[in-house]
Amino acid sequence: MNSRRDFLKNVGLGMVGASLVRPALSWAAEANSQAVPGKEGMILRSFRFLDLEAPPEFLNTWLTPVPHFFVRNHMFEPSSLEAGEWRLSVGGEVEKPMSLSLGELSKLESHTVTNTLECAGNGRAFHKPQLPGVQWEKGAVGNARFTGPRLADILKRAGVKETGKHVMFRGLDEVPGKVPPFVRSIPIEKAMDSDTLVATHMNGAPLNKHHGFPARALVPGWIGAASCKWLTEIKVLEKEFEGNFMKPGYRLSNQPVAPGGSVNPDDTHPVTALNVKSVIATPNDGATVRGRVVQIHGVAWAGEADIVKVDVSTDAGASWRPAELGKEQARYAWRTWSHAWKPPRAGEYTVMARATDSQGRVQPDIAAWNPSGYLYNAIDKVKIHVQG
Amino acid sequence: MFKGSGRAVLAFIVSVLLGTCALRAQSGGAPDLPAGAMQATARTACMECHESRIILQQRLSKAAWTKEVDKMIKWGAVVDPKDRDALIDYLSTNLSVDKAAEAASRVGK
Repeated sequence: MNSRRDFLKNVGLGMVGASLVRPALSWAAEANSQAVPGKEGMILRSFRFLDLEAPPEFLNTWLTPVPHFFVRNHMFEPSSLEAGEWRLSVGGEVEKPMSLSLGELSKLESHTVTNTLECAGNGRAFHKPQLPGVQWEKGAVGNARFTGPRLADILKRAGVKETGKHVMFRGLDEVPGKVPPFVRSIPIEKAMDSDTLVATHMNGAPLNKHHGFPARALVPGWIGAASCKWLTEIKVLEKEFEGNFMKPGYRLSNQPVAPGGSVNPDDTHPVTALNVKSVIATPNDGATVRGRVVQIHGVAWAGEADIVKVDVSTDAGASWRPAELGKEQARYAWRTWSHAWKPPRAGEYTVMARATDSQGRVQPDIAAWNPSGYLYNAIDKVKIHVQG
Repeated sequence: MFKGSGRAVLAFIVSVLLGTCALRAQSGGAPDLPAGAMQATARTACMECHESRIILQQRLSKAAWTKEVDKMIKWGAVVDPKDRDALIDYLSTNLSVDKAAEAASRVGK
């Protein structure tokens, strides 16, 4: 078996800078193919770092099974993490800094929030002009039940000072080279929200390593990057954390940006809540379908808002009909939807889905372009062939 | 002397083969970077921290590749200053906006 050091020794042939050598990665060394145990069938955007996307047909259930839940890593997952040794420190602008073990954390009152987690860059591949970054299409999104103590309960124990205005999360991601660490912060109001958690469980089971074992932040309705994995430090700050992943990363311009245009970094704000969006799970783009009735399925979500309706078009947007929304609902969770369509005749069709939310937001024809490709939410469409 | 050189050459070939195997093991069977004068430079500069897939899925202008390469140098990628421009040319020629999108693979069993 090759360790990462062996890898460096062999590949480097003396050319790799010693400053970049990192500890061995046991999981990477074990994986000698495209196998990622427990994640079969996912789209492999990257293995090292691990970035996995759900194919559209996986986005078809109220709760996304963990094997079908997307994985977004900016850097290496922790190479070794012992639950017995793990600690969560709470400090900064608090009266009583503290450090919690997993056992202590598990004794706190537990809450469950069903939340749709979406990577800010989901759909980046559809932006024109194209943009650098992981070329996510539809599936850097999933819906799961997250369980753990409220962040507010932990912060109240520590006693947030008047000066505490933002809450910083640090995870145990292993940072290569001189890459800035993945550290971000959220405003104190969101941190104290009764639905913001330090989650230890996902769909009723302890978090697995790809999803932040043993604990992660869960900031409902917000971009996935807010929900720091492998959480090890919570620090209350007087102001927003200053670091690459808060600025210039994960920001949007305060001004409209023309496609291909540039942004003044000082005239921006952090990306927080998700957009209104729906995607078509089935049929797949390019599919051939048969039968008198074609079942069109998908999911729709709106961050901190509620989905009000999803409309479906089967004639490339010339006319729209309401889809039927699934019964299950929760404040920050997606709605499943379906539409039974009787094609008038065999042929080529463009099927489209358009969501509307409780804030009056409607999925646009063209998503707002921005230089990082965040929050893509254009009306989803698939082209299908109906056989006679 | 000849024998010694032969052993050195053999050792080099073996080390390259081992390196290739290790590279594939670490990268989950990721495809190689495009052939070209800067292929080896790109392998060592970029793939120390991440695999080829993340490079191969990009379709960027020369200006965008320049920003990416300079960001990565700032973040620790080891690129000889005399190779910087050629590396940018290599990436922006092989992975330009007019190239067809890279097909993504699925996680296997």
